[in-house]
Amino acid sequence: MDSEFEAAPPSPRPGGLAIYFDGASNRRRSVTLALLDRLELQEAGQATVAWRYADIRRADSPPGLLRLTSLTAPVLARLEIRDAALAADLVSRCTRLDDNAPGRRGVAVIVGWSIAAAVSIVAVILFVVPLLAERLTPLVPQAFERRLGDVADRQIRALFGGRNCDQASGQAAFNTLVNRLRAAAGMDVSVEAAVVATPIANAFALPGGKVYLFDGLLAKAQDPDEIAGVLAHEFGHVRHRDATRMLLHNGGTSFLIGLLFGDITGSGALIFASRSLLTSSYSREAEHNADGFAIDLMHQLGRSPKPMGQLLFRVTGKEAGGLSILAGHPLTEDRLARMTEQDRPPTGPPLLTAAEWQALKAICAVAK
Amino acid sequence: MNQMSFVAPEPRPAAVPMAFSGGRGEFRRLVSRGAGLELITAGFYRFWLATDIRRHLWSYTSLDGDAFEYTGRARELLIGFLFALAILVPIYVVYFLVGLEAERLQAFASIPLFLFFYLFGQFAIYRARRYRLTRTVWRGVRFWMAGSGLGYAGRAALWGLLMALTLGLALPWREAALERYKMRHTYYGDLQASFEGNGWEFFKAGWWLWLLAPVALMVFPLAPFVYGAFKAVEWRWWLSGIRFGGLSLTSTLRRSALIGLYWKVIGWMILIGLVFAAYLFASATLAARISGVPFDHLFGKQMSIESIPFLALTVVGYLAYVLAINVVIRVYLLRDLWVRLLVSVDVQGLQAVDNVAARGELSNALGEGFADGLDVAGF
Repeated sequence: MDSEFEAAPPSPRPGGLAIYFDGASNRRRSVTLALLDRLELQEAGQATVAWRYADIRRADSPPGLLRLTSLTAPVLARLEIRDAALAADLVSRCTRLDDNAPGRRGVAVIVGWSIAAAVSIVAVILFVVPLLAERLTPLVPQAFERRLGDVADRQIRALFGGRNCDQASGQAAFNTLVNRLRAAAGMDVSVEAAVVATPIANAFALPGGKVYLFDGLLAKAQDPDEIAGVLAHEFGHVRHRDATRMLLHNGGTSFLIGLLFGDITGSGALIFASRSLLTSSYSREAEHNADGFAIDLMHQLGRSPKPMGQLLFRVTGKEAGGLSILAGHPLTEDRLARMTEQDRPPTGPPLLTAAEWQALKAICAVAK
Repeated sequence: MNQMSFVAPEPRPAAVPMAFSGGRGEFRRLVSRGAGLELITAGFYRFWLATDIRRHLWSYTSLDGDAFEYTGRARELLIGFLFALAILVPIYVVYFLVGLEAERLQAFASIPLFLFFYLFGQFAIYRARRYRLTRTVWRGVRFWMAGSGLGYAGRAALWGLLMALTLGLALPWREAALERYKMRHTYYGDLQASFEGNGWEFFKAGWWLWLLAPVALMVFPLAPFVYGAFKAVEWRWWLSGIRFGGLSLTSTLRRSALIGLYWKVIGWMILIGLVFAAYLFASATLAARISGVPFDHLFGKQMSIESIPFLALTVVGYLAYVLAINVVIRVYLLRDLWVRLLVSVDVQGLQAVDNVAARGELSNALGEGFADGLDVAGF
């Protein structure tokens, strides 16, 4: 080192003034910098601190100010240099100044890992959640399932205010129909059914075995077999425990998607949209199986499943054309075709007499 | 060490203003780029963006010629979030089961359980504040915070109950009490902070806004004026109450100072909403033309959208819409609000912070994780 200095032409020793905060107190210490083999911070001509150039790191600062710290100094020790020439000189000596700063490569790493995490979550949603829902559904105790159904029931009632239709002769006819279906399917009385006064043409099954038929669908029906087929379809959902499986599936999916977007409760329009996209193929399969159950049940009763398909067709109209991968149910014309295929001349007695059918149609009419 | 020379004490003005020197364009570029990266990373970039925003705001903020520094790192926020997740997920499961049991007895009976999450949210706010404070450095000494997050949550809940009972009239006293708790547990090095504002002053400055609030809720164009004035009164009262030992802050924020900001945000929201609507219309037309489906068949029953190209276009448009709104909110309600508040502040008694010894430990980012997971925010 000495010989190098002797050989070098005499030049003003590089250095200048700076402010030093030592990290132990917030006093501004005015220091003179000497850029030697190490960076020396001198006070009153004496070196108080010396930093190796390789240890020096940049800290956040506004433009026009170079703020430095050192790995060997107290964590919050800061050296502040305002002299641009001195700052440039010092920066050129500190080889690892920006090692702590996340650079372009850092961002690429974040993006890469995030995409990997997102892909993994989507893969879990597509493959693991359906499998888990499938395996867990038989493990859910019946009592718990019924409890879930009660909760859903109360909330649906609180939201829609739909009352149960119970006009006496209509209710008697409905009970007859339900009992015949239940008996044929070998289901006990824990499976309940009711007509709800709502103009929407729909029917659904809640977890635990509550089946609701909306008055709107009843109004569109022309034949007891049509309604019997729909109820048989819903009983199929109950038998297959589809509502519980759906709940596990949707719950798991929305939870994971929520995780992805950092919202643990899983809300938001986008989440809802993506969930409906991801879960539709699942429910399609469930619908297919419930249709199969309904067809078998109707055959068992010696009736044709075709009227049910006709009722659905009447309600939805022709659906082909739109890409209906998002629709929860299979295409209605496909379902009608399947049920027409399974059409058999009736071998059993009609499920309801003409008088009973008229009473059932009027089940919601009285209380108004 | 005794013969060290210090900067000669110069005669100082009685009050020194806070200053902000950052450019608006730079911040806009920062949050726009961040929003794009948030999109690509399915939201995971939010930890890095939040950190970059804070580093920007802190390092352009200066007092007495010395800029602040934010030393928090995104990795800490990510880890805090993951820990919070590990704690919150079992709580959510228990919450679900308890809620189920309660709902069986009475529809919507599980609503009181929200109280628990309210408490938890307040706890998170306190702990998140502690994290941010311990990452705030000025002149090589950090701020820090003691006190208990649970104690704070309990106080916040009791005051919240009182506020509900008095239809919001207790708000000034609630805020004063909570700020006193937060500030007396706040330190800069070995210098303890305190809060001098009292509820009565806040009430005197803002009671007429409380009376106007029901009217403002009915009449749309009035709401941003009333809300803007209320926030300005609140911020001014809060800033003017802050003390660090002998150092005190005074804010000269005018009542009308923030109203323009809120209107600009509303204007941008409407504009972005119109653009989004036009985009949806255009993409629906396009999808209809490509797939040959009649326009009104794109929307199936129960509003389910039945065309894949249209759905894809909608999702992309929706994401762009959300990101644009995020950029607007961050520019106006974060950066511009920050600047307006800062420049309204004068600091007296700076000699009190001339010789402060470093103290205080770093706290972890678990609170930030909870706040992120529970979607609560607070300052």
